[in-house]
Amino acid sequence: MLNLVSPSNIYFILEKIIKFINSIFFLILLISLTFALILSPPDYLQGDSVRIMYVHVPSAWIALACYTSIAFLSILNFIFKIKNFFLINKSIAPIGLLFTCLAVVTGSIWGQPTWGTWWEWDARLTSMLVLMFFYIGYILAIKTIKNESFAIKISSIIAIVGMINIPIIKYSVDWWNTLHQPASIRLTGSSSIHTSMLMPLLLMLLVLLLYSALIFLMKYKTEIIRMKKKNIKRL
Amino acid sequence: MITNFISMNGDGLFVWLSFGVTIFACLVVYIKTKKTLNKYEKEFVEEIEKLSVVERKKVLEKSKIATQVLTSQSKSA
Repeated sequence: MLNLVSPSNIYFILEKIIKFINSIFFLILLISLTFALILSPPDYLQGDSVRIMYVHVPSAWIALACYTSIAFLSILNFIFKIKNFFLINKSIAPIGLLFTCLAVVTGSIWGQPTWGTWWEWDARLTSMLVLMFFYIGYILAIKTIKNESFAIKISSIIAIVGMINIPIIKYSVDWWNTLHQPASIRLTGSSSIHTSMLMPLLLMLLVLLLYSALIFLMKYKTEIIRMKKKNIKRL
Repeated sequence: MITNFISMNGDGLFVWLSFGVTIFACLVVYIKTKKTLNKYEKEFVEEIEKLSVVERKKVLEKSKIATQVLTSQSKSA
């Protein structure tokens, strides 16, 4: 058992986890979509357009979680100079960008039936757009800078500076008057969402988290192989 | 009943568009990621096979991950 979790077995472990996620993914996706599109009730005000929440909200949560992880690992990388953190960040960043784009696009689609507009330069929407630009900047820094240690430095600076935007996104609906509704789900305090809507929301979150894990593991495996390829050339 | 489900009281276009965009984007990223991983695995195996027997032995002894990539590739082949 201990031998299985040793760092040198990482490739096998990643492969086993990928296989496990693949085996359960479609079943959970099917159940979640059934809840989100059929079983959950329409909202008394927004009608059926509320179902957009089941892709919009988890996307936004994952986008924020990915960025926070990248910024946190970048700080650790600055202090401890562990290259693995950079590889992890490199694998997380495209997932974060994907979900930021999805949160912005689905939010925009949701805006049309509820607010009567596709886009408004309000605090929440603008700060999410800023997050998207930080992700693009981060990924571009990694892809375009040839010197790896310089790329790590610049991308880490972008990630850490962009961290300022995370509390702005979170509290934008409380600090400013925005079109966007305040948070319905609170970790501390009572949530204003009914269980019949909370259940599909959590199921869709699980699906998108499993998907993110799958993409992360495949990207991380790619990064490991890329690193090993370089090592062969050195030998 | 099916028409009601599709039209969703007039919000169908927005709901289906949101789910469609999400599923499409996720599918594209999944396929692209898988293709890149397969390409790198294949290239890595090819590079190892190009090495001489002594060099290959040295690489495989030094890197357990290299052995694991080779094993996983031979399983999927």
